[in-house]
Amino acid sequence: MESNLRADLFDPAALASLGHIEVVARWIVDGFLSGLHRSPRKGFSVEFADFRPYQPGDDLRYVDWKIAARADRWVVKQYEEETNLRATLVLDVSKSMEWRSRPALLTKRVFAEQLVAATALLLLRQRDAVGLIRFDDAVRTSVPPRARTTQWRRVIAALAEPAGGRASDLAAAIAQASRLVTRRGMVMLVSDLLVDREPVIAAVRGLRAAGHDVIVFHVMDPAERDFGLEGEAQYADTESSLAVPATASDVRTAYQATVAEVVGEWRDALAVVGASYELVITDQPYAVPLRKAFDARQRRP
Amino acid sequence: MSLLAPLYLLLGAAAGIPLLLHLLRRNIGTRVDFPAARYLQRAEQEHSRSLRLRNLLLMLLRVLLILTLALAAAQPFVAGMGAGHGPTAVAVVLDNSLSTTAMSGGVPAFAQLRDAARRLLQSSGAGDHLWLVSANGRVRGGTKDALVAELMRMAPEQDAGDLPLAVRRAAAAVQGSALPSRVVAVATDGQRSAWVSSSPVDVPLALLTPRGDPPRNRAVLAVDATPARWTPRGTINARIDATDSVGFRVLLGSRTLARGAVARGEPVQLSVSPPERGWQAIRVELEPDDYAADDVRYAAAWIGAPPGVMVDPSAGSFATTAVNTLIADGRAGTGSDVRVAAADAVAALPALMTPPGDAVRLGAANRALARLGVPWRFGAVDTLPVAARGTRMDGIAVSARYRLVREGVGATDTLATVAGEPWIVSGPGYVLLASRLDPAATQLPIRAAFVPWLADMIATRLAAPTGDAGAPIQARAGAAIRIPAGADALENGAGTRRAVTGDHINAPDERGVWFILRGAKRIGAVVVNAPPEESSLARWPAEALAPRLAGARGRPSVTADAWVHDTFSSGSRRPAVTPLLLLALLLFAAEAIAVRTTRPTAA
Repeated sequence: MESNLRADLFDPAALASLGHIEVVARWIVDGFLSGLHRSPRKGFSVEFADFRPYQPGDDLRYVDWKIAARADRWVVKQYEEETNLRATLVLDVSKSMEWRSRPALLTKRVFAEQLVAATALLLLRQRDAVGLIRFDDAVRTSVPPRARTTQWRRVIAALAEPAGGRASDLAAAIAQASRLVTRRGMVMLVSDLLVDREPVIAAVRGLRAAGHDVIVFHVMDPAERDFGLEGEAQYADTESSLAVPATASDVRTAYQATVAEVVGEWRDALAVVGASYELVITDQPYAVPLRKAFDARQRRP
Repeated sequence: MSLLAPLYLLLGAAAGIPLLLHLLRRNIGTRVDFPAARYLQRAEQEHSRSLRLRNLLLMLLRVLLILTLALAAAQPFVAGMGAGHGPTAVAVVLDNSLSTTAMSGGVPAFAQLRDAARRLLQSSGAGDHLWLVSANGRVRGGTKDALVAELMRMAPEQDAGDLPLAVRRAAAAVQGSALPSRVVAVATDGQRSAWVSSSPVDVPLALLTPRGDPPRNRAVLAVDATPARWTPRGTINARIDATDSVGFRVLLGSRTLARGAVARGEPVQLSVSPPERGWQAIRVELEPDDYAADDVRYAAAWIGAPPGVMVDPSAGSFATTAVNTLIADGRAGTGSDVRVAAADAVAALPALMTPPGDAVRLGAANRALARLGVPWRFGAVDTLPVAARGTRMDGIAVSARYRLVREGVGATDTLATVAGEPWIVSGPGYVLLASRLDPAATQLPIRAAFVPWLADMIATRLAAPTGDAGAPIQARAGAAIRIPAGADALENGAGTRRAVTGDHINAPDERGVWFILRGAKRIGAVVVNAPPEESSLARWPAEALAPRLAGARGRPSVTADAWVHDTFSSGSRRPAVTPLLLLALLLFAAEAIAVRTTRPTAA
């Protein structure tokens, strides 16, 4: 991929069609970081470690010009990046996440996996420890947080495991996350939030009480936000026996109003317990949720 | 309201579809995966009232939309609704009788009536059924354009036509139509004499008559040239109708015989002995006025030397006296051109023959008839008193006669009958009476009409050359007439020639004297005049004529606009398709607005 193109701004479905999740996640993170470098922020929090002789290709910003003036030799300053964050990515792989409203879109699960993979890579590049929990009605995969360079491959391998295809139990997954992350850290929940709100809020409250930062990515298909379907049908929940007869054109506006209420309720309830909330639509580029994740990381000491 | 295509109302059953969908939507069979169904359920619960109202509104709009479209497809016609007019069966009766050639306001009445008829036809719609009926009762059907073209080709006829017949045929035409509205539209000059015998028709009728009074008319009502064959003396009688004195001129051929002025009601009588010979045209004309058709009237006469008549004593004393009177008057001469005798005494034709005075001679008489080629024989004696019937013969008593028995073939005319049997017959070169010319057998010889009748028989039946018409044929324009056998052409005074074949033809449409030609020889004349009744231009008022034509369903008009309006409003039903389609469009727009822009109220 050309360096002047930012993959994090691409259409997710188009991007996913270009390669494996591992490759695509790298493009996303590279694109994201290249955009970041052009911003006023200059980089991650780092500490000086040592000098080494200058080699062609080294960034001239890291040349120690005082030594060069005094000793007439070029040395480059080396830094040791901080690794004081432990992040746990909690991914919902329930049956409802397998849905997409039209073939041109990614399913919510695939979109969420790309987002998790890119976020994990972004954090690991900062020497943060990253763990992964995949859940449906129970925790299906648990990768403890590590900062090793091989950790990302473990995360990718875990993402490749088959999904459970059952209902969600987000509260249980959060409880599992709290057990995995013993030190204070960051917990990023990626789910369609088609669950009862109160148990989830209670679980998030527990995480917050333990000192964790919590950011919730609410993944939605565009049709789940706008109800852009047509016709009259029994609209059936994929995880329960609920089926609602409706004519799309008749209830669309009422549905949109309800979704806006639901989003507001989640945002308000999470805000009350000190968690961040971000609505993510599966036809939007990854740049926005990545930025949220990055900002959440930057707020950590 | 009536429907042109009522079967399309069945489409209204489709209105049940949105109704059923509305009622049965809880049983919708199609199942669609939608993980956020809980949001949908919550939306329906929270907005149930507004959604119910909205669904009800949508259902009503859709049902109404379908019903409206179905009704529009059925093509309803509603009184007082819609634009234009409904499909109407219209038969336009255009009075093109001779009287419509009278000028009115500088324009012939016919031109005004035809223009009004053209406007009416052009106001018709694609769904109308149209007919055009002329004064002679001829019915033409077709499209608007075809009938307008036909209308513009129409010209005034040369006679009165039969307008009541035309209206009846027009009524029959529209009554045979399946269209709901049927109208007869009559454009006429309202001439009283044309509408004497009309009886109301059972369809709405829109009547147009010209506004105002007819023009003052001076007319030559009749011209008579007597006798039919001048020898060579004859008399011309003319009857002139005028409100005051009027100048006239009498012509024989192209020669003026007399001119002068005649007072109102005064007859014109002119006795002449002209030098011309053969068939001649006689013309009496007045100073022109606004109605030229009756300013000239024609007659014809054959002019020649008087025939020589030889009367035999066997014909009786009354016949002898009558012939002597004709000779003394110069209407006959002495000679053997024509014989008057008892049949048994006749050796050659032409002859006027009576039965023999002695019954013993009856056989000889019949043998003589057979020898002469006369296809009649004297039969049994009948002495029952009866009255004769025939021209100049009505009421003449007959007390003794021989029954005439037809034997053989040959052309023959029955000039008079008694008890339904031939009494006087005629054929080529003969006139045969079944009674003696004796008061003991018949009153004919002692009646005043006897001598003129005898003169006519001699002049027209016996003295005329073989094959000659004898007397001029009076005919109306276009009427069927019978002409002498062997005629091959008609020719008028202007030299216009028209070939004919056979002995039954239609009289020419052009008024005047048409000579019957056999080769270059004139053998008779056809006189074509305007019908005398067409000279009376008195009109019915429209308000009086309309009820005569259609009772209470007749609508009088004096302007073309009102007439056209009355014609197409007589049915009073107009198509409601356009308003219904507009209503459907409004319903469709309302449905679209309800679907797209209605905001539910949060519960």
